[in-house]
Amino acid sequence: VGEKLDVKQGTLALMILKTLEVLGPLHGYGVARRIEETSKNRLTLNYGTLYPALLKLEQEGFIKSEWGQSENNRRARFYSLTAAGRKQLAREAREWHQTAELIAAFLAPRRGET
Amino acid sequence: MRHLRAALARIGGLFTGHRADDDLRDELQAHLDMETAENIRRGMDPDEARRKAMLASGGLTQAGEAVRDQRGLPWIEGIAADVKYALRALRHGPAFTTVVAITLALGIGANTAIFSVVRGVLLKPLPHREGDRLVYLRQSADGPGAANLNFSVPEVRDLRNGAPSLAGIAEYSSWTMIQQSADGAERINVGLVTGNYFEVMGLAPVLGRLTLPRDDGPGVPPVAVLTHQYWVKRFGGDSSIVGRQVTLDKKPVTVIGVLQPAPFFPDRVDALLNMVNSDHHLSATMVEGRSHRMTEVVARLAPGATVDQARAEVGAVYARIQREFKEAYDPAAHYRVAIIPFKEVLGERARLTLWLLMGAAAFVLIIAVANVANLTLMRGVRREHELVVRAALGAGVARLRRLLLVENLVLAFLGAVLGVVIAIGGVRLLTSLVERYSPRASEIRLDGAVLGFMLALSVIVALLLSLLASLPREGSFASRILAGGQRLSGSLRKQRLQRALVVVQIAASVVLLAGAGLLTRTMVRLADVDTGLRTEEVLTMQVPLLTPAELLFNPAADPAAKERYDRMRREVAALPGVIEVGLGSPMPLRRSDVKFDVKAEGKAPAVGEALPRAELRTADPHFFRAAGIPLLQGRPFATTDGPASGKVVIINAALADRFFPNEDPVGKRIAWTGEVLRFAPISGDWRTIVGIAGNTRDGGLDAEPAPVVFMPFAQFLAIGGGLVIRADSNVERLAAAATRIVRRIAPTAPIENVMTLAQYKDRSVSPRRLNAALISSFGILAVIIAAVGIGGVLAFSVSARTNEIGIRMSLGADSARVQRMILSEGGGLLAVGLVLGVVGAFFAARVIQGLLFGVAPHDPATFLGVAVMMAAIGLAACWIPALRASRIDPAITMRA
Repeated sequence: VGEKLDVKQGTLALMILKTLEVLGPLHGYGVARRIEETSKNRLTLNYGTLYPALLKLEQEGFIKSEWGQSENNRRARFYSLTAAGRKQLAREAREWHQTAELIAAFLAPRRGET
Repeated sequence: MRHLRAALARIGGLFTGHRADDDLRDELQAHLDMETAENIRRGMDPDEARRKAMLASGGLTQAGEAVRDQRGLPWIEGIAADVKYALRALRHGPAFTTVVAITLALGIGANTAIFSVVRGVLLKPLPHREGDRLVYLRQSADGPGAANLNFSVPEVRDLRNGAPSLAGIAEYSSWTMIQQSADGAERINVGLVTGNYFEVMGLAPVLGRLTLPRDDGPGVPPVAVLTHQYWVKRFGGDSSIVGRQVTLDKKPVTVIGVLQPAPFFPDRVDALLNMVNSDHHLSATMVEGRSHRMTEVVARLAPGATVDQARAEVGAVYARIQREFKEAYDPAAHYRVAIIPFKEVLGERARLTLWLLMGAAAFVLIIAVANVANLTLMRGVRREHELVVRAALGAGVARLRRLLLVENLVLAFLGAVLGVVIAIGGVRLLTSLVERYSPRASEIRLDGAVLGFMLALSVIVALLLSLLASLPREGSFASRILAGGQRLSGSLRKQRLQRALVVVQIAASVVLLAGAGLLTRTMVRLADVDTGLRTEEVLTMQVPLLTPAELLFNPAADPAAKERYDRMRREVAALPGVIEVGLGSPMPLRRSDVKFDVKAEGKAPAVGEALPRAELRTADPHFFRAAGIPLLQGRPFATTDGPASGKVVIINAALADRFFPNEDPVGKRIAWTGEVLRFAPISGDWRTIVGIAGNTRDGGLDAEPAPVVFMPFAQFLAIGGGLVIRADSNVERLAAAATRIVRRIAPTAPIENVMTLAQYKDRSVSPRRLNAALISSFGILAVIIAAVGIGGVLAFSVSARTNEIGIRMSLGADSARVQRMILSEGGGLLAVGLVLGVVGAFFAARVIQGLLFGVAPHDPATFLGVAVMMAAIGLAACWIPALRASRIDPAITMRA
């Protein structure tokens, strides 16, 4: 099952954007659940981490929010991606892939070393 | 873009607090409800489901706090709260706040005022285009009066050919002319300039055009460019002046333009003219005479060239011409040329005085800050309890530090706001002082840069105050709370810091006082200087009947001049109360610019010894009696020493001592000599000495009397004339009547400098007096602040030791003993401060040596006096707390 991880600054924003891209408009609870499930419960998000991140993305204009009704008729605030958010997601995902490849290449055992 | 947007959103967030808080609560609650519902769906009972959901949330309050921090700008909100709190705290201690604000206002205000002057006069970029590329060339040689010789036209020509690093070399020659107009005549100062002058200087016209190379040479129309100041003063800023004609030296000159406002250099000047305005400047003597030096030279460095390159090139030129023209460069005099950045030359005379004032103001600020730091420390002790409670309630050391910093910032800004008022007054006062030293005084103003300086100063003061207020270390709070509130008197470390601050104040005060003392003694010495004449009840006025050019080159232009001067003399002498009226030039106590080398018959100078250079003055038979100059030997001029009779002179004692140390000079003969005579309307004939006059301090009270040769007024009108009127009382009342007489006899001549000799004398010392007064007021200010400082610290120490003193007294110490104890505590601080201060003053005095006269920089009397004064005031300040200590009632303190 693996250990619990802290969410690294920056990666949370990427996860939120991706979640909203895949699932469409979603409330904070839904975002948290989705991220926890996708990480196979290795990540847990408390409110003090999630909501400031949502607010920051909104301030930067990558997502917008409005009040609506949830699936079981609860009043909830729904977040959705803006055009700028879509672009930002593409850009960050690309950078993240590049970084990941680079780090992986660095950390890969070199021939002859093992 | 993204950051800007986020920043705007956060600034917006500052103002939407309440509404957003409600929203957030709803949102978090919804999250909690959904999670609880989910948990129930998974089979938990409702209580367990809710508990689990709460646990996972990490705390709603904390989350709310985190979002709020993201929403607005938490530090701004925090600081706003701190400011509010600081203001409240300061309102609660009005006495403390007032004293601190005033102290800081004095320190900050004085510094701001003086900085604005330093900036305007020394630091600000010149208004000239690329002003930092301008250089001034100064030719000098050894010997008196040779510090700035100016250049001759052939020398300028050599520089033009031999120094490619100087892209443009402009010539400027100071001159005066008489401007005649319908409403009378006035003397104006003009500069005769080459056509490239304005191009080199990088100045532009505000009206019309400036002179150009085509205005050079003979045969061109004479033109004038008015300076901005003269245009405003004389013509009321009338723009129709361009193209009009003015009459200068009786000839018409066309005004072609008005110059932008710019610092005057080298003198205050009213108009700049092309060379054709002066016959002399195009004459062969001027153009060909290598030793006829009357041109100032300003040059612009070529692009990429450095001052050092220019120096090397000019040095090479000079090495060559000194070999080539031996007759113009006496090898013993070491002719040389210095190349100085123009900005530096403009600030030359003001620099020492300004840095002196800046230094003094800095000392005042140090003392003020030390004093305020002490006050805040004492207040801090009383507030320690409050800070401890705050810490106990969860404020970290960083938070408390910020609170203190904000408080100090509020105090410093309060001081700065009051300081602006002081600075405005100070700038006005200082500008009038600096006008005498610097052509850039008109550029002084309290502008953005100065206010920025003030702001920076306030922040530095606040930082200093915050650093000095030592907070208890983290973790020590708990133990202090346990120790109980009342026992938190100043720690040993704090007391030591307070004492150090008092010592600093005393030392700095001593330095300032010593400076003030030395400058004041300089004033006293100057006032004691014997001018060499009886200055009481003597009125003088200059009446140039001939224009300056006529005087020098055509004294016969007004054949009636001598007769008219005599008529003025006779009629003024007939006014009631007049004792004597003399004619002569220049007026007593005024420097004469006309100087030539003199030689004595049969006295060849020793090898390598330069001939004395003497001022040429004129006097009629009544002059010496009217001016009160004693005749030491021989006779005054007689009416028989007329134009046609034998050539006679009277010399002053300085020259007599030089030529005839142990002989009777009367009857000996001297003569003017030197290359320059070729260009002057004066012959090198032998002249017989008929009398010896006493020395007079014409070059300023602090200058050694220069050698002087008086020629009979009747024989030599070429340096003009004026009236010296001695009356029995109230000589000022004669001014109007005498002026009326002169105007009637010479309606077109200007009447200048109608002043008493006492006024002349006073004017020559007034800048120094203002200087001494400023430094003295700084010194007095410093002593007052320091006295309050030492008294306050002792008072604090007494109140902290009330218990101890009570115990001592109940154990048998009498009040005299307690007094002694407290006094010796203060005396120790005083002694250390005095020693440090005297050492500091010793160095400071060496720096201001150049401003002293008749006092050694380490003048023991001054230093002793300052030390005694400081000690007396300091002890007096200690007396009050000592007295209070001795009145402590042991019974009351013990019971408490």
